[in-house]
Amino acid sequence: MTATRRDLVTGVVVAVIGVIYYLATFSIQETSDIVTPRTFPAIVGAGLIILGLFLAGQALWQGRRTAAGTTRADATAVDATRADTGPGDTTAADATPADTAPGDKEPEPASGVVLPAPEDPPARRVVLQFALFFVYLAIVIPVGFLLSTAAFLMTVTSLYAPEKWIRNLLYSVLFSVIIYVAFVYGLQVYLPVGILG
Amino acid sequence: MDTLGDLAGGFAAAVQPASLAFALLGVLLGTVVGVLPGIGPISAIAILIPVSFGMEPVHGLILLCGIYYGSMYGGSITATLIKTPGEVASAVTAIEGYEMARRGRAKAALATAAIGSFLAGTLAIIGLTFLSPLLVQLANYFGATEYFLLMATALLLASTMSAGSRAKALISIFIGLAVGLIGLDFQTGLPRQTFGIGLLSDGIDFTIFAMALFAIPEAIRNLALGRGAKEEIQSFGSDRWMTKEDWQRSAGPWARGSVLGFIIGVLPGVGPSLASFMSYIMEKRISRRKHEFGHGAIEGVAGPEAANNAGVGGAMIPLFSLGIPGSATTALLLFVFTMYGLQPGPLIFRDDSALIWTIIASMYIGNVALIILNLPLVGVFVKLLKMPKEILFSAILVLVVIGAYAIEFSLFGLLLLGIFGVIGYLMEKGGIPLAPSILALVLVPLLEDNFRRMLQISGGSIAPLFTRPVSLAIIILMLAGIVGPFLFRWWVRRRKLLADVSVG
Repeated sequence: MTATRRDLVTGVVVAVIGVIYYLATFSIQETSDIVTPRTFPAIVGAGLIILGLFLAGQALWQGRRTAAGTTRADATAVDATRADTGPGDTTAADATPADTAPGDKEPEPASGVVLPAPEDPPARRVVLQFALFFVYLAIVIPVGFLLSTAAFLMTVTSLYAPEKWIRNLLYSVLFSVIIYVAFVYGLQVYLPVGILG
Repeated sequence: MDTLGDLAGGFAAAVQPASLAFALLGVLLGTVVGVLPGIGPISAIAILIPVSFGMEPVHGLILLCGIYYGSMYGGSITATLIKTPGEVASAVTAIEGYEMARRGRAKAALATAAIGSFLAGTLAIIGLTFLSPLLVQLANYFGATEYFLLMATALLLASTMSAGSRAKALISIFIGLAVGLIGLDFQTGLPRQTFGIGLLSDGIDFTIFAMALFAIPEAIRNLALGRGAKEEIQSFGSDRWMTKEDWQRSAGPWARGSVLGFIIGVLPGVGPSLASFMSYIMEKRISRRKHEFGHGAIEGVAGPEAANNAGVGGAMIPLFSLGIPGSATTALLLFVFTMYGLQPGPLIFRDDSALIWTIIASMYIGNVALIILNLPLVGVFVKLLKMPKEILFSAILVLVVIGAYAIEFSLFGLLLLGIFGVIGYLMEKGGIPLAPSILALVLVPLLEDNFRRMLQISGGSIAPLFTRPVSLAIIILMLAGIVGPFLFRWWVRRRKLLADVSVG
């Protein structure tokens, strides 16, 4: 996804959220105060709509300019390097100050402060990780902290490094127990006991 | 003289074994967590807040303040050696520091960062010591109008002075505002924006929001990436610490960075990250060795690192004396104060003066501890960089869950944590910065409350905004804050000092 597309999507999503938020303010009971309980939420909802549309509009305008064949403006170029998935940290920053030949005197990128974009993982695996996390959230109270945490840690580490299963197992069990003891007995923060209790 | 007496009293309490131990522990813990790649001060504090639940307020606060500047320094180690800044403030260090490390000058880079942080941090705390009482005096003239304006200014500056798209920073603020308004309206007791979900009427807990936004997306992203993204850790073995030339070249940037960072830190809504960027640009501008920038110029590490630590001390001033957080991190600290039933601001200097001075005194101690511990121990911290990602990030997810559970004790709280984790991930994906929304979430109740009181006092007129002298002064400063960055950007563009400042 290019930077322009990304901004377009982001803007539209923000605007839609703004609309929903604004509509929800109608169910707030009105009062006779000068600033009613509705005032602030309504301002915020309207603000989200305006900002979302602004961002989307900006993206459209920039997209048309790029399509028209103009050389990409600074901002777009930078945004693009940011959004594009590049291998490791060789994206923006490596290309900027470090790798420009020492010869060129004052070229624009050589003076830029551009940071490496965080790498984008494949969506499928992000969904998987979030799914695992939600399962953990759902079971931690009924099953208890110790068992659910050990299971969660074992699953996550084994997905990542299956061949190190002994280390993973040791880590999962020890970490759960140590944290449990530290919080419950050391810090007086009670954690769910679940089926062990 | 009064101030010195108070400070002496603070020191007497801060050198008590327990306080001293928590100051040291905080700095150490902060450095350790800050070194971990991808974890900055905000996530460090958010993750560690549950640790302070059972503590005495003074100990908990000393600990968390120590964690704050410890993690700032820890971040510079990570930035220098693997070019992964845990937070925006050490992003420029990731450029010059990493280049220095590549050229075998890692030790010098780390030393100049540490010494600069120490000097700037100490200067900023001296500033905090003497400015806070003055600001407390001034706060006597502050009414609802001024407080409302200050908070509005903080939010505005947080968007105009951020290092990236202003529209997106504003969106982030509005998301924070939107989330902050969910729950019962405290004035009328009416439910707002709860979408019919009864459990939402308590509102969204701030820590859950902060942990979800800052820790979860980063952890999920790294876990989903899997292996393959191997980072190269720059070694630092036989090279020397700072040479005489390094000292000479660092002195100026330290001094300039301290002043710049302090001033920027005091401004509401502007965190240390901008301070480090501006220091970098300034050093580059005035340097006679412009060609070295981008290739490991020590000035580019010394200045920004000093600036961001001076910014930490500066940011404490509005927090302590007015109760207004200037950044996401100080917003977290404000939350910790209120968690202990304390309200920073003029009243705390009157009613809990011993407590606040103990915290200030412990910051001096923490800063000394930072430099004594860190330079010799840097070898140990570097080992942390080699911690396997799956271990690190799965552990963070567990700690976040503990935090959320300890706050809400309910499945609903955990669910909120997960949902905001998803929202945070999507925000990052859309390029929306996360920090401004945290600030907005903390400020929105205060903002609304003061706005209402202002209008109630004036009978619905907004005239007091312009007729009260203090508030008029704030408005002028606010306009300067809005116009200033535009002029600054224009100047920077014109000079081609930097093509764009963007943070991924």
